[in-house]
Amino acid sequence: MPGPSAGAPADERPFATVAAAAGRRLVAAVNPAAAAAGLAPGMPLADALSFLPSLATAAADPEADGAALHRLAEWCTRYSPWTAPDGADGVKIEITGSAHLWGGEAPLAADLARRLQRQGVAPRIAIAGGLGAAWALARFAAGAGEPALPAPGAGRDALAPLPVEALRLDPAMAAGLRRVGLRRVGELYPMPRAALARRFGEAVARRLDLALGYAPEPLSPLAEAPARRVRLSFAEPVADPADFLRAIERLTHDLVERLVREGMGARRLDLAFHRVDGKVEHIRLGTARPSRDPRHLAGLLAARLDTVDPGLGVEDMILALYAAEKLPAEQLPFDPLPPPKKNPLPPGGEGRVRGAAPASPQLPPHPNPLPPGGRGGDHVAGGIAPLLDRLGARLGLDALSRLEPRASHIPERASVNVPAGVNPHPNPPPLAGEGVHGAIAALSSLPRIAPTLTFPRMRGREGWGRVGVGVNAKPPRPIRLFVPPEPIAAAWLLPDDPPFHFIWRRRPYRVRRAAGPERIAEEWWTAEGSASVDAIRDYYRVEDAAGRCFWLFRAGLPGSGPSGGPPPRWFMHGVFA
Amino acid sequence: MPRVTSLSALRERIRRLEQPVRHGVLPFGVDAIDDALPGGGLALGAVHEILGVGGDEEDAATASGFVAGLLARLGAEPVLWCLKRADLYGPGLLAHGLDPGRLVLVRAARDDDILWAVEEGLRAPDLAAAVGEIGRLPMVAGRRLQLAAERSGVTLFLLRRWRNAAVAAAERGRPSAAVTRWRVSALPSAPPFQQPPLPRWGRGGEHYGDARGWELGIGRPRWRMELLRVRGGAPGAWDVEVADATGHVSLSAGLADRPAAPAEQAAPRAGAGPLSRRAG
Repeated sequence: MPGPSAGAPADERPFATVAAAAGRRLVAAVNPAAAAAGLAPGMPLADALSFLPSLATAAADPEADGAALHRLAEWCTRYSPWTAPDGADGVKIEITGSAHLWGGEAPLAADLARRLQRQGVAPRIAIAGGLGAAWALARFAAGAGEPALPAPGAGRDALAPLPVEALRLDPAMAAGLRRVGLRRVGELYPMPRAALARRFGEAVARRLDLALGYAPEPLSPLAEAPARRVRLSFAEPVADPADFLRAIERLTHDLVERLVREGMGARRLDLAFHRVDGKVEHIRLGTARPSRDPRHLAGLLAARLDTVDPGLGVEDMILALYAAEKLPAEQLPFDPLPPPKKNPLPPGGEGRVRGAAPASPQLPPHPNPLPPGGRGGDHVAGGIAPLLDRLGARLGLDALSRLEPRASHIPERASVNVPAGVNPHPNPPPLAGEGVHGAIAALSSLPRIAPTLTFPRMRGREGWGRVGVGVNAKPPRPIRLFVPPEPIAAAWLLPDDPPFHFIWRRRPYRVRRAAGPERIAEEWWTAEGSASVDAIRDYYRVEDAAGRCFWLFRAGLPGSGPSGGPPPRWFMHGVFA
Repeated sequence: MPRVTSLSALRERIRRLEQPVRHGVLPFGVDAIDDALPGGGLALGAVHEILGVGGDEEDAATASGFVAGLLARLGAEPVLWCLKRADLYGPGLLAHGLDPGRLVLVRAARDDDILWAVEEGLRAPDLAAAVGEIGRLPMVAGRRLQLAAERSGVTLFLLRRWRNAAVAAAERGRPSAAVTRWRVSALPSAPPFQQPPLPRWGRGGEHYGDARGWELGIGRPRWRMELLRVRGGAPGAWDVEVADATGHVSLSAGLADRPAAPAEQAAPRAGAGPLSRRAG
């Protein structure tokens, strides 16, 4: 199905794009008027101009052509998710299992031709049992208005009259075949396979097998193939948000029906809008935990509807499910009221009364209005998961995180941000002290998407260590920690002293009180730690005249300096409340 | 006198209109502060603004410590904390009583997104509270948040962070729809006790820290809490010791400029002074 050359005007004046190759300027593509005058791709431009002095030319832009072809292939996913661009001028679509949706192969080809012509593409379409046969038929048998559709089993006969170039051979090999008088594919059929391979190489025999469907040829699709897909086609292009909302409701309903049957919940969705002009717009979203609540999912999709440009209209909407997780059927509570809140009050504090929060507050319109149904997830069991989904749908799931303790002496590693959709760490790794095992344990403790998500269950305070009081307690830690630490210009007197004056963010500070040092050495037993330059840090808490308290550290040993070695550097690592 | 009763009834009605404490209050546990607040504590289901001072307007460190202490005493449900830079440090929050595991951090680059996120949070009744760190707060947005908080009962703390001095100056004076506006700043810490005797250095018997302009040892940090604006209450200022591991503040002692407070609120410190450290 050769595509158009991007940017070629479709009028009647002869036109060609020109590419430089090996020092010459060759015709890369021609429009029908130029082709009628005898021009063909590959011809030197000088020859072409001698045929047709009035030829209009433009520089070929293979990248833009490739991008246009890619867009076209993406649009073709309306026929099947197994779609990919093929070479520089084709798109291959695996329609096994989806042709019946159009009533068979012939109606599908007709529909494809009609829609492509409307986009200004003159397609040559072929449908065959294998990729090789389809490639050959599309390029050498199909005409502009007549798709090549050999009956099942007739592929061998259909290929026989085609030139040997139809076998996807490189030009030198095709020329070699022609030299010995083999011009048609059918003339290769009676040749003994071994002789063919010996004379012309394995490639010819292999190409022939592929064309005849003797050898399998898989198609790797443009994008990851979705696990589930539901599709809605409109009789005529649609551009009204209200129609999109209804379509989203139907699509999610259909998808959820299948999810319920399979006991799964959706984690990653993609809603594709196939526009009339061949462009495809997407809404991609993830959920914090598997969900198959149609109102919730529809709400998430609807909330992002304003990012979609419908152009002149949308003719297809395809909701694809890329990731799903097991979601067992949930028992709904008998009591429709939320459980009472337990709010431990401070001793001596006045009791507080918390009114039952209204379920659906009627708020003044939001500047970025959500369509009706957008807030439909509130009843979903699972606490704040619907909230996280709404936040994640707009800001991206990466924007949501939680703080989790890690067993590390290094301050910035002791508290990490983990994705909010992930299980709380079941068991923080023990202090890594035993050689390589420590590093491995630390690696395997990286957050993973767990199959069962229990977000609202929070960790207790264990794991954060004791801070502040007690014999074994760590010294106080700042409330804001700068990662990476910010360099400061500091002045100090004695080697072990904290600075008496420092400049941070172009503002001078005079130290009035100081405490420390607290020495924190790198975790030398890890590969990361032993390679670090700031192997030893001496931390000081310093307080300025106003009473602000900072956490500074000196990287490097205090003794180094003018006597030898680089002078220690000072960093601001955090601010105390 | 019917006239008087109707007047007082009217006053009562106005008072009720002015202070929507429908969702209860969170008392500080310090009478001097609670008396200044309508209902005897920080109104829940409302918006509270917290400002920093000087360089801390950029980091909002004291403000976040103040909020962490309040959140620590506000149930055990999750807290939505919307910020631009994920620089909150778990152990530091824990020092003020807030379990970091309760936090759901939402990072967004723009004030609009933060406002949107906290407003979404205010619709989720399963949250204990929401915190938003924002720079620009238009009056209309603040009003929306206040209405949303009143409806759902979720309390919202807005930490004002400004990087730009011009923006800070413009925003500081802008009125807002918040029920209270606080300014929390650090005070020089109380001198520490139980310091080991320091070695003498130099001739005059001064220990070596003094010679350099700084003293060794940092005591319990203190804040000045200024209630700049409160709907239906009286503004005031208090010097307190910072929120401890249970999230409570306590009036600090030994300060000349502190407001009158009951004696039992403040733990008196005998012999507090820099000289007492050199007993040995």
